Amino acid sequence: MSIMDYNGGSVIAMVGKDCVAIASDLRLGNEALGISSNFQRVFPITDRIYLGLPGLATDVTTLRERFRFRVNMYTIKEEREIEPETFAHLVSSTLYEHRFGPYFIEPVMAGMSKAPSGGCKPFIAATDLIGCLNFAKDFVVAGTASTKLYGVAEGLWEPGLEPEDLFETISQTLMNAVDRDAFSGWGCVVHVMWALIAT
Amino acid sequence: MNSFVERYSATSAVGQLRKAQRLTEEEEEFSDAAWGSQAGFGNIMNGPPSFTVPNVRDPAAFLRLHTDDHADPNCRIKIQHGTTTLAFRFQGGVIVAVDSRATAGSYIASGTVKKVIEINPYLLGTMAGGAADCQYWETYLGMHCRLHELRNRERISVSAASKYLSNLVYSYKGMGLSMGTMICGWDKTGPAVFYVDSDGTRLKGDLFSVGSGSTLAYGVLDQGYRWDLTDEEAQELGRRSIYAAGHRDAFSGNTCNLYHIKQDGWTFIGNYDIAKMHYDGPGDVPGAPGGGYGYDVRLAAANSTEVAAA
Amino acid sequence: METSFALTGKGYLIMAADTTSARSIVKMKVDEDKIKTLSPHLLMAYSGEPGDTIQFAEYVERNIRLYQIRNLYALRPAAAASWIRRAVAESLRSRKPYSVNLLLGGYDTATDDPHLYWVDYLGTMAEVPFAAHGYGSYFALSLLDRYHDPDATLEEGLATLKRCIDEVSKRLVVSPGAYKIKVVDKDGVREVEL
Repeated sequence: MSIMDYNGGSVIAMVGKDCVAIASDLRLGNEALGISSNFQRVFPITDRIYLGLPGLATDVTTLRERFRFRVNMYTIKEEREIEPETFAHLVSSTLYEHRFGPYFIEPVMAGMSKAPSGGCKPFIAATDLIGCLNFAKDFVVAGTASTKLYGVAEGLWEPGLEPEDLFETISQTLMNAVDRDAFSGWGCVVHVMWALIAT
Repeated sequence: MNSFVERYSATSAVGQLRKAQRLTEEEEEFSDAAWGSQAGFGNIMNGPPSFTVPNVRDPAAFLRLHTDDHADPNCRIKIQHGTTTLAFRFQGGVIVAVDSRATAGSYIASGTVKKVIEINPYLLGTMAGGAADCQYWETYLGMHCRLHELRNRERISVSAASKYLSNLVYSYKGMGLSMGTMICGWDKTGPAVFYVDSDGTRLKGDLFSVGSGSTLAYGVLDQGYRWDLTDEEAQELGRRSIYAAGHRDAFSGNTCNLYHIKQDGWTFIGNYDIAKMHYDGPGDVPGAPGGGYGYDVRLAAANSTEVAAA
Repeated sequence: METSFALTGKGYLIMAADTTSARSIVKMKVDEDKIKTLSPHLLMAYSGEPGDTIQFAEYVERNIRLYQIRNLYALRPAAAASWIRRAVAESLRSRKPYSVNLLLGGYDTATDDPHLYWVDYLGTMAEVPFAAHGYGSYFALSLLDRYHDPDATLEEGLATLKRCIDEVSKRLVVSPGAYKIKVVDKDGVREVEL
C-alpha cells in the first residue's frame, strides 16, 4: 500500500461558465479502518480561492498551516489578496522546496481570477506531490479515487455549465467515483464559486 | 496435463496431488461400472478433481509470486479479498450474515457479490478469502453432500460436511488456496456452525466472524449476543453487526445478505443496503428499532425526540 | 498489545489506557500509568515505541507547563492539541522521529465542554467524540458507534468503557490485563475505578 493511500481521500475541481467548483470527500482512515467522517481537506485561502489537499493527512494539516502563513505574509507585504495564478505558483514552489523529501499531497485548487476586462475568470489547477503544475481547462482530480474520478468526469463534464448544473455535475462525479473507491467516501463537501461569492 | 504432474512430482504438494490421482484412477473402473457413463457427473466420481499446474519447478512458489498473498503488495494478480462474514447459533437456529463488497486494491470491483453459498436446502457456506476457491469447493462439497444422501438415505451432518471440506482443502495445503468459511446448517443435533479455513483449521462453535471486518463485527456481535435471543432480535443483531463492519472497514460494505437457518432448512431473510441502513435503518423489518444505524444519525434522532418531548 | 480508549460525555471525558509495559515477550511492569495530566483540565494517553513515548510525553508535559507559568493560564484543549500535533509532525521529518500515538482529552473551561483529539505518530489529528489506539480500536470503534452517547452520564459512560475493555479482553489474543482510567471534567482530573 502506497503512502498516498494511507489515509484515503479525494478532491476534484471543475470549471463552469463564469463559475468554478471544488469538492472532496470527508473520510480520514488508517489504511482500511475509518477514523473520522468529518475530516476537512478543502480550505478557503482567500475569498476567491479554495485549496484541496488530498494525500497523507498529517501533511494536509501541516500544509494548510504553511499556506495560511505564506498567504498572510503575501497579503501583508503586497497589501492585496493573492491571485489564484500567483497562489498556484506559491503552492508549486512550496512543494518543490521539499523535492528530496516531499509532502505526500497532490493539491487541487479552484478560484476566480480577475480578467483584464475587470470581470472574473474561473481558474483551476493541480500539482503533483513535488509541485509540477497542471493548468487544466475542464477539470482536475487527485486522491485515492483519482482514476475513477477521471472516468466519471470525462463522461459527465461539458463546457459552459451554469453554477446549478456545475454543482450537480461535480456532485454526481464525486459521489459515483467515491462509490467505487474503498478509501474515499464517508460524506462529501462541495464548494461552488461564481461572481465573487463562494457558497 | 498429467505428464506435467508426472514430470514435476518431486515437489511434495504435487506429489500429494499425484498420489490422490493415482488413488482415484483405481476407483475409476468401479465408478464406470456403477454409472455406465460419466456424462453429467463431471469429475465427481474421480475423487478430488485434478488441475493444470504451471510448467515450472515449484508451481506453488510460482503461484505465490504472482498472486495476492498479503505479505507482499507488489506485482500481483489481484484475488478478491476483504470481507465481513458472520454466523452464530442461538435458541432459534443459525443466523448467517455477510457483506457484498469485492475489492482489488482500492478499487471496488463489485458491490453485489453473493458471499453465502447455498450448498443445499439445509446447509450454507460463507465466503471469505479467494472467491473462486470458496465458490468452487463449496459447490463441490454440495455435490458430495448429495451423494452422501443418496448412499446413506439420510442427510449429511453439518459436522461431517465441514470435515469433508476441511480434509479436502487440507490436502491442497501449501498450494495457495485461500479460504475462511463457516459451514452452517441444521442436522439431527440441531443448529450447528463450523469454521473451516485453508490452513486446515476446523472449529465447532456458537459464534464466528471471518474477514477483514470481522473484528469490527465482533465488537457489536459479542455485546448483543445471548443464547435466548428471539428470531427477530437475532436477525437484527446479524444485520447490525454487518453494518458496523461495512461502515468502518474500507474493504467491506455495500449491502448485507441475511439468512436464517431453522429446523426445516434455510430461508433468505433479505438484502439490506448499508448506506440505507446508515441513514434510514433497514426499513420495516421485524426486530429493527426504527431509524438509521449511523452514529450521527442516531444522535440527531435522539436530539429531535428530546426537543419534541420538551 | 497496547490499547487506549477515550470517550466524551455530558460535561466530562473518560480516558483509559492499559498499564502493561512490555519488552519482547516479557511484561516488565503491570502498573504503569500511561496517561499524563498535562494541565488542570488536559489528559494525554500515549503509546508506541518504548522510550519515545516517555521522552515525548515528558517533553510535552514540560512545555505545556512552561506556557502556563509564562502566561498564568493553561492552553485550551484545541490549542494544546495543535501544538502537540505540530511537535509530532515536525519530529516525523527529523533524523529520528518519535513513534508515539496519542489521545488528547480535555475539558474546555471557557465553553464548558469536553474535547477529544486522536493523534497518531505521523501527526495526523482528528477531533472525534470517541477514540481508540492499538489493536483494541479494531474491536472498540464499531462498539462505540453502536453504544456511545455524548449526552450520557458518567455512570453510563463508564459502563460503555467497560464494554470496550471486556470486548478487548474477550477477543484480543494478547489482551492487556489492567487499565488505568481517568476522568476530566469541570473539577479537573481524577482517577476512577471501574
